[in-house]
Amino acid sequence: MNELKVDQYLDLKGVPCPLNFVKTKLMLEGMESGSILEVLLDDGEPITNVMASVKEEGHQILKVEKIFGYWKLIIKKT
Amino acid sequence: MQKKNHTDAELQELRTGGIIKQKQKDYFILRTRIPGGYLKADILKKYSVIAKKYGRDYVHISTRQGIEIPWIHINNIPKLLNDLKNLGILRGACGPRSRNLIACPGASVCRFGLVNTEELARKLDRVVFGKEVPKKFKVAISGCLNSCSKPQENDLGFLAQGEPEVDLSKCIGCTLCAKVCEKVCGRGKREPAIIMDENKRPVYRKENCFFEGDCVRVCPVNAWKVKKTGFAVYIGGRVGRFPKFGIKIANFVDEKQIPRIIKNAISCYNRIAQTQERFGEALEKQDIETIKKEIL
Repeated sequence: MNELKVDQYLDLKGVPCPLNFVKTKLMLEGMESGSILEVLLDDGEPITNVMASVKEEGHQILKVEKIFGYWKLIIKKT
Repeated sequence: MQKKNHTDAELQELRTGGIIKQKQKDYFILRTRIPGGYLKADILKKYSVIAKKYGRDYVHISTRQGIEIPWIHINNIPKLLNDLKNLGILRGACGPRSRNLIACPGASVCRFGLVNTEELARKLDRVVFGKEVPKKFKVAISGCLNSCSKPQENDLGFLAQGEPEVDLSKCIGCTLCAKVCEKVCGRGKREPAIIMDENKRPVYRKENCFFEGDCVRVCPVNAWKVKKTGFAVYIGGRVGRFPKFGIKIANFVDEKQIPRIIKNAISCYNRIAQTQERFGEALEKQDIETIKKEIL
């Protein structure tokens, strides 16, 4: 797979629910349609909750990857 | 105004229509019903009008999703009942009758909901409400396994279930479905219904599934979908002095079967229970397999 060009980056390790989603949402709101956001999230509730919420907001998830104790999420803004 | 003496029979008659005697002499509580807890905002305003005109400017929200208005004076009851009819406020039930049907928010707004409870509640009110029974009969519908409307604590409860299926061509192998599944199944003391094979592909084992749809919700690429929805059916649940959970008698019952099941359950209750006995108490003396056949 080609390396995706990431436009914005958010490290949300240690940020609890629902603040992690709020930060993700605010970041996405400030981005242009079609641009790419990379988010780092804790394992457990943060990854599953943020995933479901980002999907509900209609954005596209390009990649989900587990890296040791946390997750990397690549989101394309609709 | 001439003082009237009200007989027990008259008071009993009032009870059938959601007028409940207060401990204070000559005062009554008006109990209304709101099927499924869904109420138009315009009607809600009318409750305020009634509470100001006949009550003491406040209402009480019941645990069965009804609104009660206390402090109605007995002399005002005929006028009040007339007003209710004109305003579109539905009267509740008390005494030996089936109660208001309760429901959770359901799939129209809730992210966990598998079925639309609003529509269902509206349709079922006619089937459920106000039927003569030995003591009382409560029905609840919940749109997912979270059981927000507590169907297991009702005489008859419907709990929505969703069977998932996966489209492997869409799967990106992120493992999140297996992760959420392991958590739910772990809490339910079962082996996970979804495991990842050596190629990082999910394998679905239906026999372990709780049908609550977490895999569908979490899947980043919508590879998991709800294949079919239905309802688990619980009978005989109650709380009160001697609480007991309902007994599950079916899985994946089709929505279209619900009115028939409600009718059958009410007639079964009338057949097996003595006066003042709850459905669950009467069921304790019955063979559940026979009862299942009668209801389903």
